Amino acid sequence: MAGLASAFGSGAMTNSIEEIDNARVLFVIGSNTTEQHPMIGMHMLDAVDKGATLIVADPRQTQIAKFARIHLRQKSGTDVALLNGIMNVVINEGLVDIGFVKRRTEKFDEFEKIVMGYSPEVAEKITGVPANEIKRVARIYATEKRSMLFYSMGITQHVTGVDNVRSCANLVMLTAHIGQPMTGLNPLRGQNNVQGACDMGALPEVYSGYQRVSDAKARRKFENAWGRKLPVGPGLTLTEMFDSALKGKIRAMYIMGENPVISDPGAVHVKEALKKLDFLVVQDIFMSDTAEFADVVLPAVSFAEKDGTFTNTERRVQKLRKAIRPMYGAMPDWKIITGISGKMGYDMGYRATHEIMEEAALLTPAYGGILHHRLDDFGLQWPCPDINHNGTPFLHRKKFTKGLGTFNPIDFVPPAEPVDDEYPFILTTGRIYFRYHTATMCGRTSTLKREEPECFIEINRKDAGKLEIKNHSKVRVLSRRGEIVVNALVTDKTPEGIVFIPFHFREAAVNLITNTAVDPVAKIPEFKVCAVRVVPLMPNPGSRQTVPYDKKNDIKILLDLYEEPEAEHEG
Amino acid sequence: MKGDFVLNKAHLSYWLRQLRKESDLIAPLRSVDGDIILSSVTGIHDIALDCPANIPSPKEFIFPQKEEMFKFSDKGAAILNNGRKRVIFGVRSCDMSAVALLDRFYGGLFEDGFYISRRKNTIFISIACNNPDPTCFCIGLGAGPYLKSGFDIQLTDLGDRYLVQIGSKEGQSLIKNFRHLFQRPGKADYDDQYEANLSSQSKFEKRITLENVRQKILSGKVEDSFWESVALRCFECGGCVYECPLCTCFNVIDWKETSDKGVRMRLWDTCMFKGFTKMAGNVLPAEKKIMRTKRWFFHKLIYYPEQFGKFGCVGCGRCTITCPGRIDMATIANKLD
Repeated sequence: MAGLASAFGSGAMTNSIEEIDNARVLFVIGSNTTEQHPMIGMHMLDAVDKGATLIVADPRQTQIAKFARIHLRQKSGTDVALLNGIMNVVINEGLVDIGFVKRRTEKFDEFEKIVMGYSPEVAEKITGVPANEIKRVARIYATEKRSMLFYSMGITQHVTGVDNVRSCANLVMLTAHIGQPMTGLNPLRGQNNVQGACDMGALPEVYSGYQRVSDAKARRKFENAWGRKLPVGPGLTLTEMFDSALKGKIRAMYIMGENPVISDPGAVHVKEALKKLDFLVVQDIFMSDTAEFADVVLPAVSFAEKDGTFTNTERRVQKLRKAIRPMYGAMPDWKIITGISGKMGYDMGYRATHEIMEEAALLTPAYGGILHHRLDDFGLQWPCPDINHNGTPFLHRKKFTKGLGTFNPIDFVPPAEPVDDEYPFILTTGRIYFRYHTATMCGRTSTLKREEPECFIEINRKDAGKLEIKNHSKVRVLSRRGEIVVNALVTDKTPEGIVFIPFHFREAAVNLITNTAVDPVAKIPEFKVCAVRVVPLMPNPGSRQTVPYDKKNDIKILLDLYEEPEAEHEG
Repeated sequence: MKGDFVLNKAHLSYWLRQLRKESDLIAPLRSVDGDIILSSVTGIHDIALDCPANIPSPKEFIFPQKEEMFKFSDKGAAILNNGRKRVIFGVRSCDMSAVALLDRFYGGLFEDGFYISRRKNTIFISIACNNPDPTCFCIGLGAGPYLKSGFDIQLTDLGDRYLVQIGSKEGQSLIKNFRHLFQRPGKADYDDQYEANLSSQSKFEKRITLENVRQKILSGKVEDSFWESVALRCFECGGCVYECPLCTCFNVIDWKETSDKGVRMRLWDTCMFKGFTKMAGNVLPAEKKIMRTKRWFFHKLIYYPEQFGKFGCVGCGRCTITCPGRIDMATIANKLD
């Protein structure tokens, strides 16, 4: 988001999902599309069936990568170098859309200087991707008009997350693949309403519609609407909040629908921060690990029990209709919040969700024409400035949201924690198909739990061989922050030197060992890269240990063995 | 044929209302948001017979997605049974053929008591299909648009009236007390039915018979590499199984409500999931995706005909609409044909 905002002035998928079918080139970087965005994955496969060229950049061989004409397996955390290498080829081979660059962008020269330092050979050294593949991708992407670029958490969850996105924006502007159908820079947002949450200002430096808190005119508009004086500066980001809590500067927290004990890096850090608070309120649909620390738990309703809207990754606002009545006394979030507000002396005055939407439409230019009664069919894509407007399928047609697009010169910065002899593997974390986030819901669904019951680590066949790690055996994964025990899955999906662990499992919460380093601008944690060591749990899985058979105690003896293999060895 | 009748359309709602006095009446209803699903009818005039072929099938009424089998507590167990009588009105021939096959599956070598008790209490009034969707291909499988047998009551829309064909004694029981509403058909009615049949057949866009595909597979002409490419495209969403009116996989779980009581339930499951029929020791019988993909097709194309003499597919087109990887029965049949 921050990256897109600095380049274009607004951050959202610039084009629409239905355009994917007719695109001719799809460049997917940092997205495991079929597993995490299956509907978009479906459109991509349809496009491939129609002859489109699919290029996937991901160190792992995901399902979507198997359909790619070119699969770039760059080293984790080297995306800037890869993109700069591609742009270097575009400039050197005269594939730049000079007219577009002159007319609609600024600061090209500074950017060009930096990119000139990333010849395909230099990029190959940094990323591990062969130089002629970089050239191939550059030529294919630049010469086809209908080229769409997609990215997701794979490139944003780095200390250089914002820079990675800015590099993508640079590439898109260089080749003029923006402002037209079947083009664009398309972040695939995760949760079904994360776009909506951002749109409504659930970010520390903006009100709804990305109107900045620091903009006096915007602030006055909201102060007038809400009849209260508002803070002049931005608030804290998620990671900053926990740091502040640890320092004792934040004394209370109100957490809604989020489980930071599992989903945030440095979980020990998070738990300490929560324990230090004077007062913690957690609002969620089920008891979560974070809620265990709360002083007050407010039960909220699930998606099936409330009305409202969700805004998806293609900026489409769609209506959500209640299917069942709220159960067990839980309440919709808006009712809880207005209830608390009332008790604190401020009556928000909403009696139904469409009234809230009306106010949002009034105060948010991009949502101006978005009202519940207009969303009955398939919703509307913002910007939709007034009630006669039918929504906007693609952005930046005549000019960028901020006028001219800005090229950002980006130099490659390696990940915060490089590998070394003590911790020789790059650990990259991510999501799997059958689990969603911290499994608050799917951990309570027997069929889904059955599909992926335990946490696992994907480790390359050759690496496993060197460490004598057998498939389905337990291993310890250690980092400078802690250790966890998981099952090993020996596969060629991950390349040598990299291991992958999904973050969904509380029993082996990988965020106990991930790095808390964050991107300096967006403060997004570097989930995708940290250094670890992998060791088998039972050091000699092949050797048998004879145990005296004692009917009563045999189980106890086996358990003891399992717990202290070291002791057994020395004895 | 136990007898043919003609019902004037004006009398339909009266008849249905009378039936509703004895049983729960279920028909395609348009909800407030425009979705059409089979549900209990409160307002007879809300019945939407102009629904597409891919509304959720009636499978869930005789084989529910979640079925409580018995309750247990430290005091004992009690089998739960649903004895409600139901009339399901407005199903299409494809779904009716599917029900007939489900009857043979659940009532065959091993009689599934839960299915049978629900089925005994359910009577179907199916409507011969006059408006196939572009995804329909029941015609090549003998599962529609008009059935010659295997139904309780089959209605054919002849414009201002219905031709009513009785196919079983359950169907007969629905007419018995309302004889005064029905007339005997004449030659004109049969002529109109014949024309309606022909016109419906001409509307089909897909002409797929699975026989060629079956022969090809049996003669070994389909290599594993083909199934590999199909499996690669499988998203493991399970949509094909959940939507299919014939798929019957289920799992049984015990759910503890409190420390001293609980309920045993059976839930729809899908053989497309890796964990289906997982065994002790974490053994997965079909861990590789290609095994599951192959099995779904083989079950419907090879094992079903061997066991029941009919394909395990009625051409309803639901998998075509659902599958994100485009590896549904119709697409694959076309590829292999």
